[in-house]
Amino acid sequence: MKNFIEITELKKVFGNGVDEVHAFGPATMNINAGEFVSILGPSGCGKSTLMLMVAGLLDSTSGKVEFEKKLVNGPKTDIGIMFQDNTLVPWRTVRGNIELQLELRGLNLKDYQEQINNILKSVNLEDFAERFPNELSGGMQQRAAFCQAMIHDPKIILLDEPLGKLDAMTREKIRADFQKLWMVKKPTVIFVTHSIEEAVQLSNRVILITPRPGKIDREIKIDLPYPRDLKVKRSPKFTEYVNSIQEVFHKYGVI
Amino acid sequence: MKKFIKWIFSGWMLILFFAGFFLFWEYSIPLFDIPRYILPAPSEIILKGSADLDKLIYYTGVTALETVLGYIIALILGLGFGIAISFSSILRRTLYPFFVSIEMTPKIAFAPLFISWFGFGLMPKVIIVVLVCFFPIVLNAILAFNSLSNELTLFYQSTGASRLKTFFTIRLPAALPQCFVGFKYAAINATVGATIAEFIGSDKGLGFYISIVTGNMRPDLAFAGIFFLTCLGLSVFGFVTMMEKILIPWHISMKRINK
Repeated sequence: MKNFIEITELKKVFGNGVDEVHAFGPATMNINAGEFVSILGPSGCGKSTLMLMVAGLLDSTSGKVEFEKKLVNGPKTDIGIMFQDNTLVPWRTVRGNIELQLELRGLNLKDYQEQINNILKSVNLEDFAERFPNELSGGMQQRAAFCQAMIHDPKIILLDEPLGKLDAMTREKIRADFQKLWMVKKPTVIFVTHSIEEAVQLSNRVILITPRPGKIDREIKIDLPYPRDLKVKRSPKFTEYVNSIQEVFHKYGVI
Repeated sequence: MKKFIKWIFSGWMLILFFAGFFLFWEYSIPLFDIPRYILPAPSEIILKGSADLDKLIYYTGVTALETVLGYIIALILGLGFGIAISFSSILRRTLYPFFVSIEMTPKIAFAPLFISWFGFGLMPKVIIVVLVCFFPIVLNAILAFNSLSNELTLFYQSTGASRLKTFFTIRLPAALPQCFVGFKYAAINATVGATIAEFIGSDKGLGFYISIVTGNMRPDLAFAGIFFLTCLGLSVFGFVTMMEKILIPWHISMKRINK
């Protein structure tokens, strides 16, 4: 479905008077259903702010967000959300943390046990279901958090630099996991990142945000076949995309 | 059983230290010729104290009642106010700064006033214990309920769960570790409050006993009273620590692994 999410002249200003900080916008863009869109920009450009406004978790100063022509004016609940710092609680096991999503939504845990097992298996965590988060490595925690964000089959997934704190090898592995799950379930994904490679590897479309106050510089459609494995990453076309994006940010003096 | 032996073994240095400490005490009295009305030897404290055992046990009960009653009331009030202040912006701007400024006053300074208002009975002691326990509990509870991570807040908002459900599934368990910091601090304060209240005005209890026997030049009996007071304090603190282990086992294990 075209124009599943419509963002119109969206703008955010924090504080007022002398303390005023223009964080983002105004920006206008559309996102199609089932699309994987990356919001790429330097740190502090307001890309997380944009994501929270899309989710209805933060009020905008002006402009609007619409889902299927319906205005967002409060927290959206048909979403899955994931941050750099995960939302696993230390008093529940991995399974318990995934169930937390279901419990808060008032869903029946019994109906989901098989799905929990399946999603854990898909990210190779099936042996860690009864472990507590602090017994897992950072990468495993993020994979568990990903299961938590996905278990209720949300139509929209918001990822705010979910791999930001991980080492390069683990990032690579989890990117592949994300891609695999996205290809099966085809949710609409908004992926906030400052890694150019990550954005090119995962997305249908990359939206480049300027330094603060973040505005849309341009959009780049990534025309590469899925699954984008190592072979695709080594292709000249992939490198071309990465280089062209690097040039844009070089122009802004970011890199 | 194996665990027990391991525990004893890991504690052997502490046991040895205590043994050494009491032996040094015992034998330094004759060695340095310290008069017994200044400092009695441990053996004498045990001997004279056991002659007064009935009284000591009765007074321990009296002080324990004041301590426990005051602590429980402070716990209920402290948690109640703490949660109310955390969730109400009006209370946060009025009651909270009020509590913070009262926290700066040494609460024990009110003790003589309470004795003069309410007499020598149980009530003024309980009030003083409540007063010294309430503030650490309420201030830590406010801190606890306000320190939920931004991510978890956004997460539960995105689920559309009710406030009540969120409170019991996320906010309360997340707050418990910090709450227990206050509970434990208050547990230490509780016996101190009860003892000082009894010093100032009472006709029974361990604080009363210690002040009377000290006046009669009987430091041996005073030490016996202090021993029972220490046992009372350790029991209260031990109970709270046990509750912490039962209620938030995940927190204890987390600390252990992070070490």
